[in-house]
Amino acid sequence: MLSLSIRDLEMRFPGLETPALAIGNFALPAGGRLAVTGASGSGKSTLVNAITGLERVKSGAIRWDETDIAGLPSGRRDAFRARHIGLVMQDFHLFPGLSAFENVVLPVRLARRLARPEAERAAMLLDTIGIRRPQQAIETLSRGEMQRVAVARALLSRPGVLVADEPTANLDRRTGDEVADLIIRLAAEEKATLIVVTHDPQVMERLDRRIRLSGGRIDEDSAGTPQT
Amino acid sequence: MIRFILADIRRFRAGALAVVVLIALSVALCTVVTLQERAVRLGSARAAEKFDLVVGAAGSETQLTLSAVFLQPAPLPLMPGAVLAKLAADPRVAFAAPVGFGDSASGFPVVGTTTTLIASLSPQLAEGRAFARLGEAVLGAEVPMPGGAEIKPMHGTAETGGHTHTELAYTVTGRMAPTGTAWDRAILVPIRAVWQLHGMEGDHDEHDEHDHGDHAFEADESEAHHEHGHVDPAAPIDERFDADMPGLPAVLVKPKTIADAYRLRQEYRGETTLAVFPGEVLTRLYATLGDMRSLLLAIAVGTQAIVVAAILLVTIMHVGARRRQIGALRALGIPKRSIVVIVWGELFLLFAAGAALGISGGYAAARLISALLTARTAVRLPVEFSAADLPLALGIGLAAALVSLVPALVALRSSPAEALRA
Repeated sequence: MLSLSIRDLEMRFPGLETPALAIGNFALPAGGRLAVTGASGSGKSTLVNAITGLERVKSGAIRWDETDIAGLPSGRRDAFRARHIGLVMQDFHLFPGLSAFENVVLPVRLARRLARPEAERAAMLLDTIGIRRPQQAIETLSRGEMQRVAVARALLSRPGVLVADEPTANLDRRTGDEVADLIIRLAAEEKATLIVVTHDPQVMERLDRRIRLSGGRIDEDSAGTPQT
Repeated sequence: MIRFILADIRRFRAGALAVVVLIALSVALCTVVTLQERAVRLGSARAAEKFDLVVGAAGSETQLTLSAVFLQPAPLPLMPGAVLAKLAADPRVAFAAPVGFGDSASGFPVVGTTTTLIASLSPQLAEGRAFARLGEAVLGAEVPMPGGAEIKPMHGTAETGGHTHTELAYTVTGRMAPTGTAWDRAILVPIRAVWQLHGMEGDHDEHDEHDHGDHAFEADESEAHHEHGHVDPAAPIDERFDADMPGLPAVLVKPKTIADAYRLRQEYRGETTLAVFPGEVLTRLYATLGDMRSLLLAIAVGTQAIVVAAILLVTIMHVGARRRQIGALRALGIPKRSIVVIVWGELFLLFAAGAALGISGGYAAARLISALLTARTAVRLPVEFSAADLPLALGIGLAAALVSLVPALVALRSSPAEALRA
């Protein structure tokens, strides 16, 4: 489990006057469960990109426990993400031509040899999320199943934090609920800090804390006064 | 890793196939040009190596060589028969064999010569024995006639409107072992039979030989000049030659030493005769051929460059379309080196498959062309790779490896977040 602490973070894009994201001080304790909301363009994705190291941060500090990923070069950020952050994306980003099992173990396989305990854990996770035929080609699964496979993939390396970026936006109501359930349940079981970007009020309600972004700033924090 | 690459190729199989076929075709083109040129060069060099020195009447060196080595039917001027007698008596000469061209049978050249040449071409006959009488013949290995067959020689060839000599039919007594030269398609008969058949010898002295001195039994001979002699098929052959022999187009000479060869060539290059090293003449021909090869090869390499450029374009577009996929791989924390290996490996795999197909296809094509040529000329054209091909192959391989690296590096230039937004 990782704690998150953000200080003086500012993200700017070329050609834009105002920063896309500006967070003066924000902290999420280890094991916290955070919902991030906001209108589109409010900086949600930029926040996800910053805290997962997908985008380079030029000013400010983002600490996961003691590691400031803002100070890491891109290769080290990639490695940190692989090791500590489980990422579930809106568009699943599974790889056709491979089976469900192969998709789950792909990040490990492409980085190093797949060890037997990891293979066993992948099989266990697939079983947990309700995929009965792990060898089935991924493109033949339903969308709900695909996102569940993506959740299993995110959890394979026992990440300290699970970041889900609009995980249910491309799913219908019922499937979306199932996937949200699964994410919340597994994050707890796997003892991972959880950050979910979502529009879904039902999902928000089930998380301990909620922040709302607007114009790149936190304008509402269920835990207290937003510090900007 | 390889599973991922293969799955990806399977997904884009039509494009991948097109790339492989393009590369295979251009590599095959290069391979065929290289191999075929080498095959012709080696094959004809081997065909020529049996004959160190060819002496003929003054005229075209190339024609003399092509006629003597490849038995190409062409009218050659005749030189005085005394040359043969002189060469045969020369102590520097291991053997001197006359050759008389002009007749054919069933499309195979009938060549008048002596048993010495047969012994030189095929020290051990494949079957039967050499000719011992004027009416006997020995076949080259690839002449499809049975032993004991009767051969009616035709003056010139059927295509040039020749007529059949009805006065004589040769009886096949033997067959030479394969030599891999044009002589495999030749029918060898005693030179004196050829002379007599064309009315050039026969009843000594009664005949005016000088009349025939310049245009005797060649294909361009007009009917008006035609005066056939009588040949006794049962008469034993006589291979001693003296000064008043009829004219003949060429003598194949085996000098005893290399120094003798040069001296003999020097001596017989004169007003009336011409002496050539077939190997040297062919080398000069190849120089021309070699220029052709360079040109063809340049075209082939040019084609290759265009193909590579096209592939590069396709790949960069492909990578553009795959930016999201690559972004996703990076988002999952997959190390950059793995991504480079994947993109590079996928392209390089296509390059390698194309190259392998192209090389084997080119090799097969060259073999086929050689086989077709051999069927027509009997000159064996060896299709083989040589050490000289290695730098070229390595160069192409290295270029392919480097070119494949470009899209991989392009793919890593943007941040994963940018790539995911693409």
